[in-house]
Amino acid sequence: MALTSVFSFLIGWAMLAHAPKPTQASAAAQSAARPLPTLAPLAPLDLSGNANGAASSFTHLDIQQPQGMFGGAPIFTTGGS
Amino acid sequence: MMRVLDFAAMNTAVILAAEARTGVDDALAAARSFIEGAERRFSRFLPESELSALNASAGDWQDISKDLLEILLACAAFHGETDGLFDPAILPALKNAGYDKSMVEIRATGVSPRSGVPQPPRSRFGEIKIDSTRQRVRLAPGMQIDLGGIAKGWIVERAARLLAEWSMPCAVSAGGDMVFRGYPTDGRAWRVNIEDPLDPERAILGLRLGPCAVATSSVTKRTWVQAGHLRHHLIDPRTGEPAAGNGLSVTVVADSLVTAEVYAKALLIGGQQEYSGRASQRPDLSYYVVCSDGRITTGPAEIEQLPSLDPIHFEYAAPHV
Repeated sequence: MALTSVFSFLIGWAMLAHAPKPTQASAAAQSAARPLPTLAPLAPLDLSGNANGAASSFTHLDIQQPQGMFGGAPIFTTGGS
Repeated sequence: MMRVLDFAAMNTAVILAAEARTGVDDALAAARSFIEGAERRFSRFLPESELSALNASAGDWQDISKDLLEILLACAAFHGETDGLFDPAILPALKNAGYDKSMVEIRATGVSPRSGVPQPPRSRFGEIKIDSTRQRVRLAPGMQIDLGGIAKGWIVERAARLLAEWSMPCAVSAGGDMVFRGYPTDGRAWRVNIEDPLDPERAILGLRLGPCAVATSSVTKRTWVQAGHLRHHLIDPRTGEPAAGNGLSVTVVADSLVTAEVYAKALLIGGQQEYSGRASQRPDLSYYVVCSDGRITTGPAEIEQLPSLDPIHFEYAAPHV
């Protein structure tokens, strides 16, 4: 039993020792790699309108959505508008 | 279970809810279409609206639609009933206070420089001439009217009526002004939270309601700065200036949303002396006033039953359940 275990270990060790190793990037490949360009910053979100003076599609709203459900019906909120 | 549709209209958030059954989506779409069409007719911010045409005709007789006639007759009745506290002819004063363009534009660019200048005496709504038979009206020279909340109330009521023909129970809310038809199927009552006017994220009262209408007027919602002063959109017809009472918001529960709209505004403008006095003339109304000192006044019968504003939320079964 002990001899079998030692023998199996040695076979495994020998197989791993001769297995292919991970390849490393070559110097040529490294020189070909270029850092990615930095992205331009996003344009600010203009809520007042666009450059043509047209109204923005974004609007400020006094949203008063249902705050949840009760008995299958929405719970409403009132506070003026 | 209810189907819910929400969208933006009338410069606020609209919520339609109806019991989920066959055809409910068509009903919701029809109600939405009605609201959007009615907004185009009664908005003072749209130059092509029927209301803008009427304001432009001041001094002359103007033919109007049956719907606009109905709204103006209601305005005339409430103008008399509230002794002028409800007055749609405050539009020149409202514009002079800075509200001469939509809140979206005010928030983006500030008030117009031409506002805030001395104005000549304005017309009162009582000076309007209404010829119901020939379906026409004549605004006094220089008179301009803003249908604002009462038109919104009329539109929401009509939308709820339309929705109810297809699917009951149902509810329509526009910016927190709402109409309930029937009772929720699985619940005993509709649930409505009244928000803290100084902290909209916080509810300070919870109402359980049956079929009814709810409207809230608040001096903290539509506000702007004019010449260094905070202004709001509720003009006191007696002074021509934004109301300066101690109420921050007034919520009224009534059978009709038009009635609730008018009285929420009149009680907030009228101030403390109006709460018990004027409201006692309409025992069919319930009202909830959040005062600037933190007190909540309710009426007509439940005064003194409520705790102070802080700490917050409890539930209150309104008489309309």
